[in-house]
Amino acid sequence: MSKITRRDFLKIAGAASAAGVLGHAPLAGAAKHMGSGSARVVIVGGGFGGATCAKYLRRLDPGIAVTLVEPSTKFVTCPFSNMVLGGLRTMDSITHSFDALKNKHGVNVMHDTVTAIDAGAKKVTLKSGKTLSYDRLVVSPGIDFKWDAVQGYSEKAAEVMPHAWKAGPQTVLLQKKLKAMKDGGTFVIVAPPNPFRCPPGPYERAGMVAHYLKEHKPKSKVLILDAKDAFSKQGLFLDGWKKLYGDMVEWVPGAKGGAVQAVDTRKMMLDTALDKHKADVVNFIPAQTAGKIALASGLADDKGWCPVDPRTFESKMHPGIHVIGDASIAGALPKSGFAASSEAKMCAAAIIATLKGETPAENSLVNTCYSLIGPKYGISVAGVYKVTEKGITEVPGAGGVSPKEAPDSFRENEAKYTVGWYQSITADIWG
Amino acid sequence: MRIKNHTLTLLLGASLFGCATEPTAPPATSAAPAPAAATAAAVVTPPAPPPTAAAVVNMINNCYSCHGTDGRSAGAIPSLTGKNAEQALLMLKEYKSGRLAATVMTRHAKGYTDAELEAIANYIGTNLK
Repeated sequence: MSKITRRDFLKIAGAASAAGVLGHAPLAGAAKHMGSGSARVVIVGGGFGGATCAKYLRRLDPGIAVTLVEPSTKFVTCPFSNMVLGGLRTMDSITHSFDALKNKHGVNVMHDTVTAIDAGAKKVTLKSGKTLSYDRLVVSPGIDFKWDAVQGYSEKAAEVMPHAWKAGPQTVLLQKKLKAMKDGGTFVIVAPPNPFRCPPGPYERAGMVAHYLKEHKPKSKVLILDAKDAFSKQGLFLDGWKKLYGDMVEWVPGAKGGAVQAVDTRKMMLDTALDKHKADVVNFIPAQTAGKIALASGLADDKGWCPVDPRTFESKMHPGIHVIGDASIAGALPKSGFAASSEAKMCAAAIIATLKGETPAENSLVNTCYSLIGPKYGISVAGVYKVTEKGITEVPGAGGVSPKEAPDSFRENEAKYTVGWYQSITADIWG
Repeated sequence: MRIKNHTLTLLLGASLFGCATEPTAPPATSAAPAPAAATAAAVVTPPAPPPTAAAVVNMINNCYSCHGTDGRSAGAIPSLTGKNAEQALLMLKEYKSGRLAATVMTRHAKGYTDAELEAIANYIGTNLK
């Protein structure tokens, strides 16, 4: 047996990286600073990844100059936007300001858009025409959509068949359509192919829409048309839907003709290989890539996602730039807000160490995704992750989903903790 | 057997901290015949090294996503404050073994070595007030 222990691996990895074998110089730009005090870090994107990174950079090293560039003056979270559809939350309650980052944590927040990244000159250009120089750049742009992957769908079609997969006006639009739907109508969710933001999200949405319909339009139906044959927390979702909503929620997997091949926004029709479906409301969640700026800056691979060093989240395409959150290829970590925040904390620590000319400490990454099926019915999946020779891998024997058989009190506690998690993580990021 | 929080409180009250803080003995490398699985485990698993201070900060920072920044929860999830290192370690070890019932902490605690749990507990006891 010649298993490499973590200790041996770190020795090897440490030596290799010191010798520059792992490619790009890990300490590029560090020598002239001798400490991170005078260093400038620019962060693109103020979501779960970018805002966490900004706050934790300043927490870990108050001398560092952090500029966060985010177009929106308020950030609306995708997590809990399903609860808005379910009628459990208001848009206001999932909207967060950048005031604490500015005033409490000393982050320079600029409401602008990064239009170009010059990795060679270490500069970004903003829509306003300004340029910012950086020592390290963090790109946390979230996702973008492959608008043309399905015939008949487009950015314009999203006004009729909202994706609501970036929270904000699209969430409001989908809720308006749900509220206007007749009793006895069919609400279709088109679930995206892998990989995509928030793996349990479309299925949580199904339960939240069903919760609203059960209260207000009980003869209606939620139909999930899915290109995939399996999904996150599948057994728990199927059991929960049955228990709370009977036959109201139906999931059609790819193998049974769930893959949507074309949509008609005028007739509200969806074509699959086997069937045509008439819908009253369609929530079409398109296939996804890393956010636009990552693609435009050459940070993504040919599949549209960004390869990174799992220890530092530094781009494998451009040294000096780190990519975190949904846009990055983070091994076993899912594309979740929690994971983005965990990556951001590790990235912040690695940047500080690198700027000081030190070797970054061992990463520890965590994810917990709670989903509500009903207001008092919560489920979760958790994982603890380490960097091994295979990249970011889940620690075996840990993590996993909520038990399949559990008393009502267990689901109720997890529902309570779902809300508690949201309160804590949003305060940890924007508070 | 699983224990509930109130039982743990009793345990904590009874000052059983001492045993909980003893480091686990490394597996014996005895030549005596043993079941195959046990032999394999004994051969390839060296005692885990304690994490560095910076690695402990990396670990504890993840806890804050649910338990709040600096362990001060903003909602229904319990805060990490107000515990000494012994109490924190006892809880973490009992979550890891599954003896202490929980929704998600039993799944998280299994992701850390005993040395890491000890370091996390020390951080909680020392820094989270």
